[in-house]
Amino acid sequence: MIETEPTLPRWMIAAAGAKAPATSGRRRRRSAVERTIQGMAHALRTSVFSEQIAARQGLLQRTDPRAKSAGLLALLMAAAIIRTPLLLLTLYALTLAAAASSRVSLRFFIKRVWLFIPVFAGVIVLPSIFNVVKAGDPLFTIWSFGHEVRLGPWSLGTSLAITRQGLAGAAILILRVAVSVSLAVLLTLTTRWSDLLKALRIFYVPRVFVLILSMAYRYIFLLLSLASDMFTARRSRMVGPGSPRDDRHFAASSMGTLLGKSSTLSDEIYAAMVSRGFNGEPMTMRPFRMRTQDLLLLVAALLLAIAAVGGDRLLG
Amino acid sequence: MHIPDGYISPQTAGGLWAMMVPVWYTAGHKVKRTLRQRQAPLVAIGAAFTFVIMMFNIPVPGGTSAHAVGGTLVAVTLGPWAAVIALTVALVIQALFFGDGGILAIGANCFNMAFILPIVGYYVYRLISAGSSPRGARRWIGAGIGAYVGLNVSAFLVALEVGIQPGLFHTANGTALYSPYGLSQTIPAMMLVHLTVIGFVEAGVTALAVVYLQRARIGLLAGEKAAAPAAGPRLRPLLIGLLLMLIFVPLGLLATATAWGEWSPEDIRRRFGFIPEGMNRFSGFWSGILPHYGVRGSFWSSVPGYMASAAIGLAIVGGLTFLAVKLIHRTKKSD
Amino acid sequence: MAERGPHPVFELEAVRYSYMDATGLDGIGFRVDAGEKLALLGANGSGKSTLLKLLDGLIFPSGGQIRAFGSRLDETALQDEGFARGFRRRVGFVFQNSDAQLFSPNVWEEIAFGPLHLGLPQDEVEERVKDTLHILGLEHLRDRPPYHLSGGEKKKVALAAVLAINPDVLLFDEPTAGLDPKTEEFLIQMMAELNRAGKTIITATQDLGIVTHIASRAIVLGEDHRLAGEGPAAEVLADRELLLSANLVHYHTHRHDGLEHSHPHSHVEKHDHRHRG
Repeated sequence: MIETEPTLPRWMIAAAGAKAPATSGRRRRRSAVERTIQGMAHALRTSVFSEQIAARQGLLQRTDPRAKSAGLLALLMAAAIIRTPLLLLTLYALTLAAAASSRVSLRFFIKRVWLFIPVFAGVIVLPSIFNVVKAGDPLFTIWSFGHEVRLGPWSLGTSLAITRQGLAGAAILILRVAVSVSLAVLLTLTTRWSDLLKALRIFYVPRVFVLILSMAYRYIFLLLSLASDMFTARRSRMVGPGSPRDDRHFAASSMGTLLGKSSTLSDEIYAAMVSRGFNGEPMTMRPFRMRTQDLLLLVAALLLAIAAVGGDRLLG
Repeated sequence: MHIPDGYISPQTAGGLWAMMVPVWYTAGHKVKRTLRQRQAPLVAIGAAFTFVIMMFNIPVPGGTSAHAVGGTLVAVTLGPWAAVIALTVALVIQALFFGDGGILAIGANCFNMAFILPIVGYYVYRLISAGSSPRGARRWIGAGIGAYVGLNVSAFLVALEVGIQPGLFHTANGTALYSPYGLSQTIPAMMLVHLTVIGFVEAGVTALAVVYLQRARIGLLAGEKAAAPAAGPRLRPLLIGLLLMLIFVPLGLLATATAWGEWSPEDIRRRFGFIPEGMNRFSGFWSGILPHYGVRGSFWSSVPGYMASAAIGLAIVGGLTFLAVKLIHRTKKSD
Repeated sequence: MAERGPHPVFELEAVRYSYMDATGLDGIGFRVDAGEKLALLGANGSGKSTLLKLLDGLIFPSGGQIRAFGSRLDETALQDEGFARGFRRRVGFVFQNSDAQLFSPNVWEEIAFGPLHLGLPQDEVEERVKDTLHILGLEHLRDRPPYHLSGGEKKKVALAAVLAINPDVLLFDEPTAGLDPKTEEFLIQMMAELNRAGKTIITATQDLGIVTHIASRAIVLGEDHRLAGEGPAAEVLADRELLLSANLVHYHTHRHDGLEHSHPHSHVEKHDHRHRG
């Protein structure tokens, strides 16, 4: 039984040549595949960076995660209830102060908060400030049509104007979104994921759910790198942007592959857990010790939330 | 599809949280019974998988791309109730870490994408594929149609939840406190794109993924892990009834009280020239038990009143949902 | 046959395992004594990993029987909480895929998972984690999430997670696969040391180069999923026929000074050929 090494086919031996590939002058458009890879890389970077900030010694990092999450949740609710732009602005200023005293660079914090969600909210809410979209008292008239303009069955009125209500509503929405996102970002930037999970127990989240949450988060990174490898391998084989049809097929088959791998993985993890004594009932260590300063901070946050809502009722 | 914080009122968000509690409770029990000890790793990986495929950009005609939710695919492989938990976990992680969807809005987002979407998708799939072999064409067709229907129902719910805000929550002079667009704007905006494009993307990708599984990982479709609850034909109408109730009870509670916003009986008379008899009766009935927030000076416009009316609303919704779930449980046991 | 020791850890009789109509193992019988160093050799797909999972009570034979520490190891036995806990405390398993083994949010909790779930009191759990981190030199990683660890670090943490349980028997599945040379060396030393401390070490591998370091006895699984041979490690390694039949070595064609010849090829010793164009 003598087997020799497999012989390579002729086309595989012929080299493409030592010259640099010729340019064709055509630019590649960023394909869906590339956008996916970038999105995944961004998610991975975000997590690494968050862990680094959570490890710093700042005001919120030192606070007991349970006190911190309860306090921030109270403020989040207050931000959802109040309707005075001034109070929302005050709350926003407070989140900036909290970020600064927790050694989060303000430039980074503001960028992180504003870059996506509130800016997006602004774009969405923009049309609603005009009277043609939403009725209201005109504040600035941009263009007087001089007569009633009709678009089929709809009347657009006699002028295009920015309304008082539209502007106020837009301001409230954007501020509210900004405060909410700031509070959420503060919580997640200054808390290690494992501590945040333990804090969930005070909201009566069942242990097994906490365990699932922690494992899901951990394996997102494994699956992300698996998926990102698949997409990278695809990109390296693609010359042009690839037809959307092929890309859709590729996305679907990668989902299938990933689902298969996930299934194998979950079997292995289960075996590893059972081997170390898991019988379906998760156990946890005594998590943290609540100190006076934690309680003080929690009480302060609760009072602040109540004051904000109360003040809002007085002003509004 | 992910609603951020600030777009919907705390009452809406809270109501949907309250509705999710019995759903999570039921899902937890079902999963514990069907998957037993394996539930933790299986559901966790299911959640991680969902999270990752939500990051896939899928090209759509016109040069842009959309994201798939994959909820129906997860429900088809893990079973509907395990999918509820897996999708919830994925949404919680997205909200906490990547700012996709708000924290107070987790209840709403879970209701739309982690409950209605997989359940609707799954039962449509079952309806179409019932009795077919795991390799049969009805499997992928059913999964594709299920994904399309599930996604669109879910998008419609988003449009409803966001669209009822301006009518319900505005200041005396009409300034919107949350999302400013009414139902007549949110429904066309959401449904146009979901019915014509995104729904087909979801359907196509789900169907193709199921075809892939039929070729390469048939075990995942054969129901070895899915352990679907044996939903006999008698359970289905009940389930649909529950779904309808879950959707309309809170809407009714929230909407009829303060006016159908622009759709108050007066409005309707102006527009249509008549008021449906039932509506007239009901608007009186509702404002009797739950006076609206807008009246200045009354108890109900003060802070405790505000809280109290929210709490009453939540209690009613929660109670009804809980009863419905209990009822389902009982029928199931006697099955 | 191996010498009969006084304390059998595992006794297998005609063990057969099949899954979805495919045979994983057939007619397996051997015995492992306390304090032994045993290697399970076999090519990919021969059933080594399956055998380890059977020994760890993660899956159960379709035929034949396994006894562990003198009592029968099967599904009913492990449903007994007391037996399960006792068995899990005495047998630890270091999996090949560290990613599957490290499922906790950080290193500290990973190591605490075993002791905690096996019912140790909280302060003892803390002490064990601290000591385990120390002996493996992992203190600086204690708060790291597992996805921010290198391959070698992951393997060490996986070992630490098992050692914190302080099992009498350690099962290793392909421990050196994909490791850098330094970690591999460290791991082999550690395994030898654990054996000197009285632990039974059972290693499934196809890396023949490490066998003599980690085992005194070897069992070979053939590609037909049956026992192909058994004996002192050095003798098994010297048996070219046996290794060839189990597909653990293969013929290799080389050119030496223009002459082409074939010979069995393995990585038992340093491979020392001069290759010319």
